[in-house]
Amino acid sequence: MTPDLSVALGRLRLRNPVMVAAGTFGYGLDYRDLVDLTQLGAIVTKSLTLAPRMGNPPPRVAETPAGMLNAIGLQNDGVEAFILETLPRLREYGTPIVASVAGETIEEYVQVAMKLSRAEGVAALELNLSCPNQARGGMEYGVHPELTAQVVAAVRQATDLPLIAKLSPNVGDITPIAQAAVQAGADILCLINTVLGVAVDARTRQFRLASKVGGLSGPAVKPIALYHLWRVRQSLPETPLIGVGGISSVDDALEFILLGAHAVQIGTANYVQPTLAQEVAQGLAAYLQENGIDSVTAIRGTVR
Amino acid sequence: MTRYELPAMVVEHRRRGANLYELILHAPPIAQGATPGQFVMLRPMRTHAPLWRRPYSILRANPDKGVFSILYSVQSAFTELLSLKPIGSTVQTLGPLGSYFQPVRSARRHILVAGGVGAPPLCFFAARLAPTLQSGEQILILEGARRADLLVGMDEFRALGAEVRVATDDGSKGYKGYVTSLLEMALNEPIESAVYACGPNRMLQAVAQLCTARGVPCQISLDAPMPCGTGVCLGCAVKVNTPDGGAWYKRACTEGPVFWAEEVVWE
Ligand SMILES: Cc1cc2nc3c(=O)[nH]c(=O)nc-3n(C[C@H](O)[C@H](O)[C@H](O)COP(=O)(O)OP(=O)(O)OC[C@H]3O[C@@H](n4cnc5c(N)ncnc54)[C@H](O)[C@@H]3O)c2cc1C
Ligand SMILES: Cc1cc2nc3c(=O)[nH]c(=O)nc-3n(C[C@H](O)[C@H](O)[C@H](O)COP(=O)(O)O)c2cc1C
Ligand code: FES
Repeated sequence: MTPDLSVALGRLRLRNPVMVAAGTFGYGLDYRDLVDLTQLGAIVTKSLTLAPRMGNPPPRVAETPAGMLNAIGLQNDGVEAFILETLPRLREYGTPIVASVAGETIEEYVQVAMKLSRAEGVAALELNLSCPNQARGGMEYGVHPELTAQVVAAVRQATDLPLIAKLSPNVGDITPIAQAAVQAGADILCLINTVLGVAVDARTRQFRLASKVGGLSGPAVKPIALYHLWRVRQSLPETPLIGVGGISSVDDALEFILLGAHAVQIGTANYVQPTLAQEVAQGLAAYLQENGIDSVTAIRGTVR
Repeated sequence: MTRYELPAMVVEHRRRGANLYELILHAPPIAQGATPGQFVMLRPMRTHAPLWRRPYSILRANPDKGVFSILYSVQSAFTELLSLKPIGSTVQTLGPLGSYFQPVRSARRHILVAGGVGAPPLCFFAARLAPTLQSGEQILILEGARRADLLVGMDEFRALGAEVRVATDDGSKGYKGYVTSLLEMALNEPIESAVYACGPNRMLQAVAQLCTARGVPCQISLDAPMPCGTGVCLGCAVKVNTPDGGAWYKRACTEGPVFWAEEVVWE
């Protein structure tokens, strides 16, 4: 018998637990020639803002040991362009579409969420809480329990869609923030976004990113992501969790699931191997079959 | 534009200079689709460090044999690993990618300006352009490098019978100085020219400025860090002028690497 890979994250039902992460798969259609989009658990879009955003000056990326720093600065064509140009074609594939919502102000998050909620074909919203808060000198919303609660509560009022809060790892203790997000109405938590970092070029004696500070992703961040996920799993045993950070193999995905993730997202690895998400989904099925386990939910959270 | 991802077999891997290698890969759809200026993303190994694949310009392509080659210099960990790939092994390959050089048919002289390891796409361009030239049309190659032994693709250029002028920083071959000085001299000659350039971004900026100041059509192939090479990460941003008088970032891997010089905003 083929093992059952389907998972339910509250109202969000996925045919398998392997999603692709925000900002690493374009708006969703970009890889349609290389990847079988119907084999993905869900597709998370690049984060969308109200107006088109130009993003940061280059260099925006730097390769680091087993990882990379990025400071893209939320470059995107804006939520309207996504709804008009991408969504109608993307929803044809039948794979759940999770729209990533970004904003510089709480009002912007709300506006973007409202537009996406009215559009046809969005399965859930994912709040990118790593956006710089303009009112607080560019600090991430997601490093502060009150700010997190304010964003989540405001968007909760504006949408009936399943709401995912994507948490920042750039905190000492993530559990108060996770709790604040859930109390404010988040149905699902996703963790982690990128880890703050810098890199210096010894030859030119300059920062390697024009914006100096960037977000670290890739295999190097996996233990950090697993740590935060494990902490949140203990403090919120009932909340569906999505694990993301450094996944580049079936075993990596299993680590998150064994620690209690309902689903996982593949990010940076998409750049190197666009077909990885579909291969990880197949690999999970093979792992379950080899071990005589009939569903992926049976192993979830079994490592405590 | 159709792109293909496949494990390409190494059919030849030979030394072409002190630190320079040519890698010939068997990948029929890529060899058939490749246009000069385009590149491939290579992943010779499944390592976490280096993490990214790397872009390499296509040096030549033989659609009948289904092979294409790249020319690379060993610089750091990635190219060291690449240089170890034996004949018969495979390299995960994605391509052909990006924009390409477009011959300016109104020009009488096509000036190809190559800086060091920027020569490969121009070798390919020259090879495809040469058989299409009308009478009175010619190709002029200007190539610069720090030293004579760092000049790349000279055999390819000479085989075409095109005129080649060389500049080296230390004067070990040809003109002593920058290749952009050779370009300035060439542009002063009274013949309607178009310029196609690939090399370090500093050189390309100088080339672009020389050409735009004179109204000479100019295409440049830019270098940028490329995490994905496929248009999804927005890491390879290049600032360009927009028709409405503003500016925006385009992707070097998708809308580029070849841009019209007047489009690019230098900062
Ligand atoms: C469109 C395009 C086409 C290209 N075509 C070719 C081609 O045809 N042939 C070719 O040889 N290359 C080409 N390149 C460049 C190529 O992609 C690689 O960047 C190059 O091969 C170097 O790879 P590497 O990993 O060995 O060196 P890298 O590790 O990328 O290092 C490159 C250089 O930077 C230095 N460096 C390494 N780490 C750092 C650091 N942390 N900070 C500062 N400097 C550092 C290295 O010492 C080395 O000199 C192309 C690039 C682009 C964008
Ligand atoms: C270039 C780049 C762009 C990203 N853009 C976004 C984004 O727009 N919104 C978001 O929530 N996360 C974004 N992320 C973060 C990823 O979705 C993911 O949370 C993070 O990279 C960790 O996972 P990984 O190690 O598998 O990449 C981006 C990551 C990278 C590398
Ligand atoms: S390298 Fe990723 S968009 Fe160009």
